[in-house]
Amino acid sequence: MRGALAPLAVAAALFAILPMGLSMAGSGYLFRLADVTLIFCILSLSMQLITGVAGLLTLGHAAFYGIGAYAAAILSTRLGFDAGLTIPAAGLVSALFGVLIALPTMRLVSIYFAVATLGLGEMIYVTLLNWVSFTRGPLGIGDIPPLRPFGFDLSSPLGSYFLLAALAALCLLVVHRIAHSYYGNALRALREDDQCADAMGLPVVRLKIEVFAIATFLAGIAGALWAHTTGYVNPADFRFAESILILAMVVVGGLGSIPGAIVGAALLILLPEALRAIGEVRILAVGLIMFLCILFLPKGLFGEVAALDLVRRQFGAAWRGGSAARPLGWR
Amino acid sequence: MFDRFDIFFVQQLVNGFSVGLVYALVAIGFTLIFGVLNVVNFAHGEIYMIGAYAGLLAILVLAPPWVALLLLVLAAGIAAGIALERAAFKPFRRFRDEASLKSKAMRESTLLSSLAISIVVRESVEKIFGADMQAIPRAYADAMQEPISLGELAVASGQIAILAAAVVMFATLQWILKRTDIGLSIRAVAANPLGAQYVGVHVDRTVIATFAIGSGMGAVAGLLIGLYQGTIFPAMGFAPGVKAFVAMVMGGLNSIPGAVLCAIVLGLAEAVATEFFGQGWADLVAYVFLVLTLVFFPTGLFGAGRERV
Repeated sequence: MRGALAPLAVAAALFAILPMGLSMAGSGYLFRLADVTLIFCILSLSMQLITGVAGLLTLGHAAFYGIGAYAAAILSTRLGFDAGLTIPAAGLVSALFGVLIALPTMRLVSIYFAVATLGLGEMIYVTLLNWVSFTRGPLGIGDIPPLRPFGFDLSSPLGSYFLLAALAALCLLVVHRIAHSYYGNALRALREDDQCADAMGLPVVRLKIEVFAIATFLAGIAGALWAHTTGYVNPADFRFAESILILAMVVVGGLGSIPGAIVGAALLILLPEALRAIGEVRILAVGLIMFLCILFLPKGLFGEVAALDLVRRQFGAAWRGGSAARPLGWR
Repeated sequence: MFDRFDIFFVQQLVNGFSVGLVYALVAIGFTLIFGVLNVVNFAHGEIYMIGAYAGLLAILVLAPPWVALLLLVLAAGIAAGIALERAAFKPFRRFRDEASLKSKAMRESTLLSSLAISIVVRESVEKIFGADMQAIPRAYADAMQEPISLGELAVASGQIAILAAAVVMFATLQWILKRTDIGLSIRAVAANPLGAQYVGVHVDRTVIATFAIGSGMGAVAGLLIGLYQGTIFPAMGFAPGVKAFVAMVMGGLNSIPGAVLCAIVLGLAEAVATEFFGQGWADLVAYVFLVLTLVFFPTGLFGAGRERV
């Protein structure tokens, strides 16, 4: 029974307590803040999969977020697609680009991969900025219809919040299931030593490309949600600084830990908002928190080992009994 | 198409060459630090920016003669470099065995810490001086814009100054590395940190010297380019920093002459791309070069394949 406690608590907080509190406060600003936090939760979860679990440091994640946002914006404003279609389509377009980019770069390791993703991310930004006939360049695309998937009107703040919360919870479930499976263990093996994993017979490059595709799919969905809830997309929102913000969330929360990704996203979105009284210090606060975390808490606020312990305790019986009943192996 | 190859095009190539020299000035310090520590110093672009701002402050407060200005900025760059090393790199060199010196985790944590420091520095400068462009006083900026005509071509005196600075810096660095004791220990640590320690090289001091030399050069580059362009702004270090990195990767990571050559090639290629595709798309050139190099020549064009990339 204890195993169901944490998911129930998360669900209760997401779907009952938070929306109730937000409705009582009745402020559009707070709803917007909750929406942004949920979108960044999806982004940091997707980056956690690449950087935390599979150990591929990427510095261009915001580009896939941007591709998703532009895909949703262009499909809904030019072709009149329904929001129920643009969201998965944005994920697919983003994943397609992810695979195309992963194919040549996945053979690089460590900082070379990091810098290649930085370069590719900036290439995508420069393209969004300069391909004026397709993306309208620095003007951005406006008048993106709000969320009305398949005729359900979810354009009210509460409706959008519920859709975003549902999708974020779904992403959480997907990333959690991937990270705590045999597949996730294989990804952790890549992170610890990819040559060793190769020698053990894991298809290293294929695994890396797959995890990149999954993570960029999720980032694309986050982009589509951003486009529909904001109603306006601009290349400046998908630059290097945004990639660093997502990376900082993952690092601060703890590399490899799923609760860490959520805590990091919430902290780095909400804390700068709370500090708004003393001026626009968002990026400065992000840099400072990230530096202090690397220096004093190298495992992050909610380190992976702690997170794994939590899961072990939650699924204690299943872990112990399961591994003895079934032969250990890669499946 | 060939009608484009007129005097105007040659003029563009000359300008591209001087842009390439700018990248080379930044790339020299960048490559020096990478060669010794084997880690990427993401804050090098901020050292360059600090050099420009230190120069602006010195001009506004003291209005010093040129030599004094150069020395002041050099000192500011050295101080910033040492502070950067203490804050972002030293804490991660606690473990000295071979495995952790080469470990991926250590390299990535210094990459992240230098990135975080660079954000903090850039934002602090933005808070103090504002995010806008700051103009360099005319008395200094104009000296860099004197036109000098060479036949049909026209170059600004600033371009000559940048060329001279690049030659002087490159020669000084080669002299330090090949002819002095500290240069010898820098080369020893770059070749094998643990071995250097065994034969009595003070690794900590050598790393500090490397940061001092690299950052001093970075700061002077920032000053010269700030003077030449006439305006400086807090984010000015990002683009040259990335392009210097591209030049370093193309040059083979630990080859300073290779990095300088590739930086010049990059500047020329950007000038040609600006001519044919426009300014916005020219920014793509560096990234395309970077990705092509990493994919097809992972050890760089001039590198001796030293490690797995």
